[in-house]
Amino acid sequence: MLSEICEGKTLPQVVKHITQEKINLYAEASGDFNPIHVDESFAAQTPLGGTIAHGMLILAYASEMMTLAFGQSWLSGGKLSARFKAPTRPGDIVTVSGKIDSIEHKNGISYANCSLECCNQKDETIIVGGAVVKLLGGKS
Amino acid sequence: MANRDLPGLERGEKRAMISYEELVPGYEFPPASYELSSSLISKYLKAVEGSGDEFVPPLAIAAYAMTAVSGSLSLPPGTIHASQELEFFKLVPVGAVVNCQAKVARKLARAKVHMLVLELDVFDQNKEGVQAGKATIVLPVQGANA
Repeated sequence: MLSEICEGKTLPQVVKHITQEKINLYAEASGDFNPIHVDESFAAQTPLGGTIAHGMLILAYASEMMTLAFGQSWLSGGKLSARFKAPTRPGDIVTVSGKIDSIEHKNGISYANCSLECCNQKDETIIVGGAVVKLLGGKS
Repeated sequence: MANRDLPGLERGEKRAMISYEELVPGYEFPPASYELSSSLISKYLKAVEGSGDEFVPPLAIAAYAMTAVSGSLSLPPGTIHASQELEFFKLVPVGAVVNCQAKVARKLARAKVHMLVLELDVFDQNKEGVQAGKATIVLPVQGANA
């Protein structure tokens, strides 16, 4: 977890290498067998031109970053908002990063407002979003 | 009673399906209960390269809620996720049984794109909310060039 929660603090980056095998594994685990994720011949015929990772898989990496930073505060009092800007393809290396933009205090409770972004190895933004964490015990 | 097998997890499973064309804003999907068993969560953690064995990762709950909804929704192949909002209210221990309720918040049909906004709420066995979310999905339109 973060040793100090303050404005401007960067969150611990999470880096993942996406493979078709990992996408298939996520399909098996989640039950989402949409062919755009798992059927290479189908996906090749679509405007996307090939398979893409599940958006919820990439969001799971974003949640991993938030859990690393805030622990149980995230799991029991987190709020996430994300837009999928570009597809993630097998072979991509995804880097999730974020920072604390501000700390708010409302009714005796502190909240950390964070921005987050997922980029691929070409520095293209895959996901952009924000997160709010209710800080437990005034810290985390 | 909890479904031992999460709705939609079994390929080829037969269930009553509703299509995009039949959906209207306000439509409520049949509620689905499922157990976040240790084997299910282990499989999920392996897939996302995660760790932890006490509490269910909130994104796992969200993913299974989406799967529960898609178990009764017939979407065309190529449907993709456009945006997602999630709010987590409490820790959920591995082994808990949760109930998922979902409804259509918005439906947009344009010439080249169809979109659905789904609202999902997940409750524990004490009927306390554990998670709420909103998913926007984009459906391919046959004959349209994206």
